[in-house]
Amino acid sequence: MNEDVIVTEGVEKTYEDSGVPVPAVRGIDYRLARGEFTAIIGPSGSGKTTFLNLIAGLDTPTSGKVWLSGRCISDMSGRDLSDFRRDNIGFIFQAYNLLPVLTVEENVEYIMLLQGVPKPERHERVMDILEKVGLAGYRDRRPLRLSGGQQQRVAVARAMVSNPSLVIADEPTANLDSQTSGELLDMMRRLNEETGMTFLFSTHDEIVMERARKVVVLRDGRIDGNADPEDFQ
Amino acid sequence: MFLRMLKFSWRSIWRNARRTVITGLAVGFGLASLLFTEALMQGMTVHMIGATTNPWMGDVQIHRRGFLDTRQLGLTVERPDAVLELLSQDTTIAAYTPRVLSPASLSSARELKPVTLTGVDMSTDPDVTLLESAVETGSYFTGDSMEMVLGYRLASDLKVELGDVLVVTAARTDSGLASSMFLLSGICNFGNEQLDRYSAFVNIGSARDLLQLGDAFHEIAIVLPDAHMAGDTSLALWDRYTDRENIAEGWTELAPQISSMLDLVNVSMVIMSAILFGLVIFGIVNSLFMSVYERMFELGIMKAVGTRPGTIGYMVIMEAFWLGVISTATGLAIGLLIIWITSGTGISFGEIEFSGITLSRPIFPELSPGRAWAYPVFTLLLTTLAGIFPGIHAARQNPAESMRRSL
Ligand SMILES: Nc1ncnc2c1ncn2[C@@H]1O[C@H](COP(=O)(O)OP(=O)(O)OP(=O)(O)O)[C@@H](O)[C@H]1O
Ligand SMILES: [Mg+2]
Repeated sequence: MNEDVIVTEGVEKTYEDSGVPVPAVRGIDYRLARGEFTAIIGPSGSGKTTFLNLIAGLDTPTSGKVWLSGRCISDMSGRDLSDFRRDNIGFIFQAYNLLPVLTVEENVEYIMLLQGVPKPERHERVMDILEKVGLAGYRDRRPLRLSGGQQQRVAVARAMVSNPSLVIADEPTANLDSQTSGELLDMMRRLNEETGMTFLFSTHDEIVMERARKVVVLRDGRIDGNADPEDFQ
Repeated sequence: MFLRMLKFSWRSIWRNARRTVITGLAVGFGLASLLFTEALMQGMTVHMIGATTNPWMGDVQIHRRGFLDTRQLGLTVERPDAVLELLSQDTTIAAYTPRVLSPASLSSARELKPVTLTGVDMSTDPDVTLLESAVETGSYFTGDSMEMVLGYRLASDLKVELGDVLVVTAARTDSGLASSMFLLSGICNFGNEQLDRYSAFVNIGSARDLLQLGDAFHEIAIVLPDAHMAGDTSLALWDRYTDRENIAEGWTELAPQISSMLDLVNVSMVIMSAILFGLVIFGIVNSLFMSVYERMFELGIMKAVGTRPGTIGYMVIMEAFWLGVISTATGLAIGLLIIWITSGTGISFGEIEFSGITLSRPIFPELSPGRAWAYPVFTLLLTTLAGIFPGIHAARQNPAESMRRSL
């Protein structure tokens, strides 16, 4: 099955900063195949976050279109887009991913709660994924009482628990030390291989790049070719 | 999901416990002060009505139509026997007493003063008025036809003492003049200018003899089981004693200045509530906006992972609801405690004179649920509604924007 999870066509995003147009993404045609484990790299300000936000439906492109699992999300709005993200995309952000007033278990459960998944199934899936990320013993903890690496593992669990077609991670290791970063990426890669779930993440971090299966380079809002992960090893 | 959100929002407001406590106390004190003021006003109302009706007026009076405006001697109550008969069988009233009233001049050996000669029925008057207990020197009526009771101010104006001779001169219905001699038998103090300076009380029989009135009288003062009933226009009483000749009126009509004062009190309560509720809304809106801004990143995450904008809005409104619950509970606790403490001892304002009535006794705050329920209910309702603005604001934020700006 070699269908593309993401297809973008001529996607552009121009912000406005006190009247001055700031082109952040300048026309990207991109395809990401199902099951991939791909890193987007590029210097600071090259448009990585903007591009991921456009793909994830967190932001709307100035022009161009984005298809996710065959559906065009560029003209979806408000509630539909919100529900689409809930059911199709898992998110891992750079830090403070978790809701501090919820326990680990409740954080992981949250999306299924929004989806209306019945309680026994929720419980089973939460326990299963927490097992996989190695945090089964921490389900009643509040996030603030976990280490940074543990918090990111919970975020990974939350992103994956409802089987989305795509997991998007914007610099998931930016706040972690290199050893923890390596372990987190190893775990994500392992889960990618076990489940076949598609991962797309951005990074500055060589430890992360070398674990990617493919690397896309962004420069000034454009794709500036592909790099070989081997290069970083 | 709803219960989950309630639980979630309850936890959220305790993240900044200090702000929640301060908001709760501020709004709570607002509510408490409203409740206390309401109780004070209710206590004062009871006091004012009592001070108006208890000493002399009664809750209801029956007159011949036109008597109050003209004070004509001839305008006595029509069919007096029938009216008294009806009253004696009326179970909706507590007590009644007939009176004779006439303008007269009263002279002592040294002074002459205009007065209202007031004929009192000593067998029924003590159940209706405070005249008997207002007598400070000498004694109340015993039935002697020469007895006269004067207010202490009038007694001092006339420079008379107990036992001194006084002469009343009044016009009769036939336009002749009549006068009669009395002995000062009691001096009273009502704390009311009209009664203490311009009234001369005698036995009703003596007044009738002097004025040649037979069995007639000008006024019947009636006491109801509850003074508030006098404001109830649906009572059968009004029709029963009102006809072409006679008219029954409650204290609200007899003392319109008091009832308009009480209206004024109500209006000021409404204004004060409006101001305080405005501040309450402002406080809650402010507190919630602060908490929304602090959590921008988090709200961005919640939206990113698929929480609908509406759900975010509801969540903020639920937080407002919880703030309302805390504030209302605090306000009720503080307010009722203060009212409970002060209602035992009363609050003394010294001597206040108002509309010729001296309020000297302490005022006892009291809270009847009849109207007071509105304050906590409105507090809860308005605090919850105050969540709408910050709720809409939180719902509208673009997730990518809110996360970018807060990093
Ligand atoms: N909301 C915005 N308004 C104005 N300019 C913006 C906005 N968001 C991003 N930009 C600009 O767009 C460009 C791309 O930003 P973006 O955050 O996508 O880069 P990035 O590759 O993620 O950088 P970093 O590695 O630092 O995270 C930058 O020049 C940035 O200043
Ligand atoms: Mg970025």
